[in-house]
Amino acid sequence: MPRDISISNTVLFPLSQEELHNILSTALSRGGEYADIFLEDTRISSLELQDGTVSQAQQLMLYGAGIRVVDGTQTGYAYTMDLSPEAMHQAARFAGSLPGNGSAIAMPALRPTPILTPETPMLEPDASKDILLTINRRAHEISPLVVRVKATIAQRMQTVQFVCSEGTGFADRRPRTTLFISVVLQKEGKTQMGFGSRMYQQGAEFITPELTEELLQEAIRQALFLFDARQIEGGEMPVVLAAGSSGILMHEAIGHAFEADFIRTGESIFSGKLGQRICDSHITIVDDGTQPCDAGMLRYDDEGTPGQRTVLVDKGILASYLHDRISARHFGVQSTGNGRRESFRHMPLPRMRSTYMCAGDATEEDIIRSVKRGIFAQTFTNGQVQIGAGDFTFFMKKGWLIEDGRLTTPLRDMNIIGNGPQALQHISMVAGNLRIDHSAGMCGKGGQRVGVSQGLPTVLVDKLVVG
Amino acid sequence: MNILHQAAEEIRRICPCADFKLVLMHNHEDNINIRNGEIEKMLHASATSLAMNLLIDGRDGFFYTNNTQPEALRQFIRNAAETTRMLEPDESRTLADPTCYYKGGGPDLRNFDATLSTVDPAEKLRLAQQNNREGMQLCPNLISFQTHYSDRQHQAHYLISNGFQGTEQCSRCTLTSIATADGKDGQHPADGWGETRIFLTDLPREGIASVAIDRTLRKIGSRPTRSGQYQMILESPIVGSFLQPILNAMNGQQVHGKMSFLSSKLHQRVLSPMVSIVDDPLIPGTRGACYFDYDGVATQRRSLFTEGVLDTFFIDTIFAKKMCMKPTTQGTHHLIMQSGDKTLHQLLSEARKAILVTDFNGGNCDPTTGNFSYGIEGLLVQDGQIVQPVSGMNITGNILDVWQRVSALGNDFDPWETELLPSVVFDDVSFGGL
Repeated sequence: MPRDISISNTVLFPLSQEELHNILSTALSRGGEYADIFLEDTRISSLELQDGTVSQAQQLMLYGAGIRVVDGTQTGYAYTMDLSPEAMHQAARFAGSLPGNGSAIAMPALRPTPILTPETPMLEPDASKDILLTINRRAHEISPLVVRVKATIAQRMQTVQFVCSEGTGFADRRPRTTLFISVVLQKEGKTQMGFGSRMYQQGAEFITPELTEELLQEAIRQALFLFDARQIEGGEMPVVLAAGSSGILMHEAIGHAFEADFIRTGESIFSGKLGQRICDSHITIVDDGTQPCDAGMLRYDDEGTPGQRTVLVDKGILASYLHDRISARHFGVQSTGNGRRESFRHMPLPRMRSTYMCAGDATEEDIIRSVKRGIFAQTFTNGQVQIGAGDFTFFMKKGWLIEDGRLTTPLRDMNIIGNGPQALQHISMVAGNLRIDHSAGMCGKGGQRVGVSQGLPTVLVDKLVVG
Repeated sequence: MNILHQAAEEIRRICPCADFKLVLMHNHEDNINIRNGEIEKMLHASATSLAMNLLIDGRDGFFYTNNTQPEALRQFIRNAAETTRMLEPDESRTLADPTCYYKGGGPDLRNFDATLSTVDPAEKLRLAQQNNREGMQLCPNLISFQTHYSDRQHQAHYLISNGFQGTEQCSRCTLTSIATADGKDGQHPADGWGETRIFLTDLPREGIASVAIDRTLRKIGSRPTRSGQYQMILESPIVGSFLQPILNAMNGQQVHGKMSFLSSKLHQRVLSPMVSIVDDPLIPGTRGACYFDYDGVATQRRSLFTEGVLDTFFIDTIFAKKMCMKPTTQGTHHLIMQSGDKTLHQLLSEARKAILVTDFNGGNCDPTTGNFSYGIEGLLVQDGQIVQPVSGMNITGNILDVWQRVSALGNDFDPWETELLPSVVFDDVSFGGL
């Protein structure tokens, strides 16, 4: 739930409540059921280490407003970087130019929008630089095989103010910090790369010496592993998904297909299945916007709906879809707080937050022991789904062959393919070791990218196609 | 242009010895989405933004803002200067050699439709509605038929402190149909087709919907087939995706960073001798046409692969210095692969045991080794006949190995794309399925 702390009523943008009300009125002057304004001031700065020096810096500033008018399932949208009343009214007129019933609606007065979060100081460039140089030095100390180190610290501060024709709104500051490390190792004429990352919605205080050491060790271990790892003959086989980054299964196989815009249009393979049993009763899947500092955490979503935790699958029963305002109204339910947008230049869409399966009662060891021949998949890099077919793919960077219940051959660079509903039904064992993966994960949909996280306990899927 | 000169003046005032590259961009876009006869979304926007590279004593920072109000711009430049000064110097970070800059005088590239931002939005809406009506009439039983119309105008004005000023502009308009069908086993297969042109008057008004519907309906009943070695016929629209890891590996930064599987392979045969590819940004009327790159350096027609031999890396000004090589180009603009003389239909009719791959679904290629694994979907071909749609399968291998096994090329590239790549036939590709 959002923190209702009134820190300051300092105006973040040069538009008064009265002016914002007038702009909303302009947007609705030709009809429409609802309108909103999303104001944004985002600053991103990053420092990068390469070739042993911190010689690259980037700073990006995004400033503007998006104005939306909704009429049923129709949306008119316009954005502008010019926040003068004239430019805003012009944008509002375009947003309201959808064919409508031609009559304006009455709007309540706008309530004040207190700022939810105090300003978070960003890490000073000198401090970032010191961390990056330490990473470089330690990488070469840990392994003489390291020939190249690349590391980036990126900090984002997104300041937003949102108002809508229902009279409500919010203002918030959303910091996000990412640390990314990659190493290149050379051994006997061969080259391998390993990487590690963390992304949180907070300042850089999580970047401690212990964390950077952990990430470096993770990246170097991964590269060393890959020297000996290989690909095997593909085919259909049992797959044990290790806890953590295997949560990509939740994201690709389940999450996207539950986004209610795909459900509303009938495109998703889970359309029309609400309330039905879709998997075994030991499986519960959640999409959560309340985990503090998580990449998917939202005090309010980008449509002003309070952040919340949504149970998607409740002991095997499809319990909810992921709704924004439009799909919620269409289905006659409350928004689940999943209306997200990349920036003021984009319309909000139903998007995931932190998507994970709840812990079961098996152990990872028992699960591996139960497999005669299969794959233990540990680290993933990316995935994709065909919503209508339910076919998903995720790319396993690192794993093991399982033979007679034991990990035998190290594996790398293999795709795992399956079908969402079928994969869910084929999950036969769930361990108790749920882990959320906080690597720097961005989800792309409709030309927009938003930060997300995913998690999984170790699970056994009886059959997936591996190649 | 005032903004550019204001920014330049401010830079000279704050750090008189700095070099800079300023790019002022104006973009205009319209997007319309229609689903099942109803307007779903309409978006309209114009945007101005400024990108800046600031070079101070061998230190190089990149900065971007879309707030170009005078006071905001001053603060932006002050912050940029402060940030740049704390970087470590890198003597390779300089502006390009001015003798390499584009000098002007080239003929009109005919790649910008000035009317896109002034044409009545109702006309764009009518175009989209016509396409949507066509699709709904052709196949009334679809779950969903979507039409996307989008257009974009881009103008960029460059000002570089060691003597370059120039303007580039381009535009495109796209009409896409996406159909979703009610398939077997509860699946909802979907596919689409789109056409892109520079000028709105050239955009086809008919025919797109029927192609999208055909492609969708042929997916009904798709399922994996047996794992094994097959001929892979890559359909022209997706050949670029399978070439992209190779183009990425040609990037100077990747090569220099020892993160490229092509690092030591310049001037060696790395692809099949059937593969010859050039990049030619100087053809008027093409979407990739441009006279200069982001460094202001004049573009030229350049051979990338000659009968499979790697002719060049993509080396910009910075990495040319790091690698002690001559700069070439930052990347591709208008790719042209030498074609064969067969249509796709002819290629299929000659296939004994093949999979026509029509789309990729996830996957990755390791940039240091070239080992890849991609999800695919397509059509199984036996003895010249399409026998079933396939999905839920992988292809795996090493990207260079596979590109060395090209056995035939089509003649079916799309002349309106930025990559003119025909369908390509590869022998003995490993498919993972049942």
